[in-house]
Amino acid sequence: MMLIRSSSGPGSGNGPALPELHRRLKWIALVMAIAFIVLIGRLWQLQVMRGDGYYERTVSNVVKERYLPSVRGKILDRNGVPLADNRPAFNVYATPRSFKPAVRDELARMLGLSDDEIEKIDERIKAATKRDPKQPVLILEDQGRDRAALVEQSLSRLDGVEVHHEPYRYYPQGDLAAHLVGYMTQMTANEVDKRVSQGYSPDELVGRYGLEAAWENYLRGKKGVERYAVDAKGQRLDDKTAQTLIQGERVIGAVPGANLVLTIDAELQRVAEKAVARVPASAVVIVEVKTGKVRALVSKPSFDPNVMTGHLTRAEETMLLSDPRKPFIDKALRATYPPGSVFKFATALAALEDGQGAEDESMYCTGVYQLARTTFRCNGAHGKVDLIKAIKHSCNVYFWELAQRVGLDRIAEVARSFGFGTPTNLGLNGDSGGRVPTKAWYEQRGTYKVGYATNASTGQGDVEVTVLQTAMAYATLANGGTLYVPQVVERVESSDGRTIVSYEPKVSHEVRIPPDALDVWRRGMWKVTNELGGTAFEHGHTEVVTVMGKTGTAESRTRNRKQQDDLRDVEGYHPARSHAWFAGWAPAEDPELAIVVLVEHGGSGGRVAWPIAKQILEAYFRPKEDAR
Amino acid sequence: MRGTGLQLPRATIGVSRWRRFRAAIDWPLILTILVLCTVGLFNLYSATRGLRQQVKFDTQCKWMIVGVIAFTVTTVIDYKAMVRLAWLGLAIAVGLVILARLQGATGGNQRHGETYRWLFVGPIGGQPSELVKVMMILVLARMFQDTEVGRYTPRALLLRLAGVGIPIVLIAIQPDLGTASLITLMVLSVAFLSLPNVWPVVHVTIAGLAAIPLLWETMHEYQKNRIFGFIDCDANDPAIAATANCWHTTQSIFAVGSGKLTGKGYLEGTQNQFNFVPEHWTDFPYSVWAEEWGFVGSVFLLAVFAFLLIWILNIALSARDRVGAVICLGVAAMTFWHVVVNVAMVLGIAPVVGVTLPFISYGGSSLLIFFIAMGFVANVSLRKHGY
Repeated sequence: MMLIRSSSGPGSGNGPALPELHRRLKWIALVMAIAFIVLIGRLWQLQVMRGDGYYERTVSNVVKERYLPSVRGKILDRNGVPLADNRPAFNVYATPRSFKPAVRDELARMLGLSDDEIEKIDERIKAATKRDPKQPVLILEDQGRDRAALVEQSLSRLDGVEVHHEPYRYYPQGDLAAHLVGYMTQMTANEVDKRVSQGYSPDELVGRYGLEAAWENYLRGKKGVERYAVDAKGQRLDDKTAQTLIQGERVIGAVPGANLVLTIDAELQRVAEKAVARVPASAVVIVEVKTGKVRALVSKPSFDPNVMTGHLTRAEETMLLSDPRKPFIDKALRATYPPGSVFKFATALAALEDGQGAEDESMYCTGVYQLARTTFRCNGAHGKVDLIKAIKHSCNVYFWELAQRVGLDRIAEVARSFGFGTPTNLGLNGDSGGRVPTKAWYEQRGTYKVGYATNASTGQGDVEVTVLQTAMAYATLANGGTLYVPQVVERVESSDGRTIVSYEPKVSHEVRIPPDALDVWRRGMWKVTNELGGTAFEHGHTEVVTVMGKTGTAESRTRNRKQQDDLRDVEGYHPARSHAWFAGWAPAEDPELAIVVLVEHGGSGGRVAWPIAKQILEAYFRPKEDAR
Repeated sequence: MRGTGLQLPRATIGVSRWRRFRAAIDWPLILTILVLCTVGLFNLYSATRGLRQQVKFDTQCKWMIVGVIAFTVTTVIDYKAMVRLAWLGLAIAVGLVILARLQGATGGNQRHGETYRWLFVGPIGGQPSELVKVMMILVLARMFQDTEVGRYTPRALLLRLAGVGIPIVLIAIQPDLGTASLITLMVLSVAFLSLPNVWPVVHVTIAGLAAIPLLWETMHEYQKNRIFGFIDCDANDPAIAATANCWHTTQSIFAVGSGKLTGKGYLEGTQNQFNFVPEHWTDFPYSVWAEEWGFVGSVFLLAVFAFLLIWILNIALSARDRVGAVICLGVAAMTFWHVVVNVAMVLGIAPVVGVTLPFISYGGSSLLIFFIAMGFVANVSLRKHGY
């Protein structure tokens, strides 16, 4: 203002031309000062105080990152047969900002997309628009070579669409060991944020079931990053320009995931799955007696992980979810069942150990057992039976009597020492603990009745076990008392075949069993499968290998009728029927494999479960020359 | 001494006409304009480089030559003669505004979207509303030329208000609220500084503010969004910042802020070079400048404008007569509001309206009217010792 005043003096000599201006100069000064102070203050705030933050923002405006997918680790059986592998696939990506509805319609018309697929595209675009409308998002995965070529030829008409050549998960054995291997899916909207913070890209597939889920961190590897520069329209700038804008590495290569080598024997698994193909719902577990390594793990009905991984249509999904046999529940280690007579070993061992029973003690079975005012019915009138015969014929009366002598808690104690009642620690698919009730357990829930021990002694009532637990318990019986933690992963290898981690058999604990008591039980088991009148022998005998086993026919609680009306009927599946069990091992002389077969609502264990076990064991032990 | 021809100071015998003319020229004013034009061209070169817009640089150079000619012409012709024809000039400008509207309505002008601001004569286009600003300055000078207080009766003032109000309304319904508001601010500023009694101005201003709710109802949705949109632009929420309303403001703030203290360097601004601030050569050149030259450069440019304003006021104070002083005030007010509104808009503290930055923004109309306006000032300066 000094400038103005100093020179305002002489002017024309007639006094100021505009006296009002001279009077109001201070107002001009005030308004101008305020205006310029506000502008400079704002500049100071933006450029000096917050400048660093805005600088970062402008860098992120220009520099974009694209994930370079890592090749997921393979899942191999013990002999190197791939159960999960990768193949090249063509994935279609779209940048939400330029992917207009017209482009979508053009794409849909070109590829003949179903409404289902179009809806899925819309969902993905919507979600991605919220995250970052300039970041390309996967809209169609695993398009065939022909469809990819079709899209690539018309890219000029399809604004914002890209086709990338990427590895895609596939399962060469189809539904073999599906529950074990598992499958992968896109992440749900809820988990995206968490996963992204762990370094996933939002449209990546994640392991959702089985080993794919449980061993995700080993399998996924480490993705690479490619950084590139774009202009405001999202157009990629040339490499030379990019180089000046991007500090540091422009491409960080991906690290492939580790391979899992399983203890599973794909061949044996296939044999087992073939053997159970004739029943609607079943589970088979085969473990190595001396190591606890799982050689086959079957749960049926199952699913094809190739279909589950990204291709499942809504109709198929509804179909699978409404199946009364619950294909998504792993029947080998998640579902629990009453064990029936295969559980009798606990009662027998408890009685023999306590001196409450003896091998040569005989009882008379009339087919009926009276306790208090309740009448229990045996599966037949067996007449005069000793303990061995009771095992062979699966006479309930004999075990009911033993149960009255030793009591519920002793039976529970022995069962628990064999691993029932606690999860086996396989660490897969929500491995269940099952239930071994005790007196205290009943008292907690109401009153204890003597009949509960009667029920439990033959694996009924409130006893619930998993097929895997039963297999581990029978392996323990076979090896003389070592309870293993089941093992399904033999070792982890790097992608070039170097062993990263190798897992040794792990003993849970040694079970204290008096040798003579065990011997009695084993002799009973031998007769079941090898002597006229044995519950299994009646339904077949094998000359290939000497099998020892125990059948079980466990009554299931009839399901709630109302609940069942919602589910569709499956031929040959009768929810009111008993569960059929067979548990045993082979060869009898030097036990190698323990096998447990469960046929859900299959009926008699000897008639239904045993032939399946026999078929599997025959196929395995038959000398290879004969097989050809 | 009847107002035609050059009035040269110190008409000393023995000194050539050329030397006397040179002595009368207002060099600080011309140098300041030169600095601004240089900054403008440098900035435009950076803003349009690599965007297939380089032709704009050449166009701007051509317009500058036209501008210099216009500056010379408006300097040389005595402003008193021009003021005498002020109302006629305004009438012609308003006629052109109406013509532009008609041209737009008949579909003859699809080049500039849905607004009817542009008038085309063959390949050359211009915004007649810009011309209204210049004519308004002359009209104001004519309106406030009376020295006697008694001449400013309420009736006379009302008539004059109608005279300036009609063009403003016409521009507002174009619709070009930015220019209309700017002319209103100009008129109020000049009136406030020139009327012997300021109360009429205060009353009109209060009445105008009271009428804002009424005006609000008649506004287009996009205009409402523009006015309030920039307030909601939380730079931390990418979803809101990505909407069209916020995009301009947000990206402009990023550009300015990222310049930090000393800037990214000439031709190095990524926001500018990769076109994150749309149309940054017309309304947002200051964001380009601030990004590349930082706080230091930004303040420097503001200082140049401040000096220009002070110098124009200086000339107003030393003007030979009332008309000359009011002309200078009009030019100062126009420049001041253009700079403040444009920079505030770039800095995200004012809504996005189409107000240019004098001599820096790309565009023939804007450049031309500022050269003409500065010509008026040079004209007044040249004749200050005339009596």
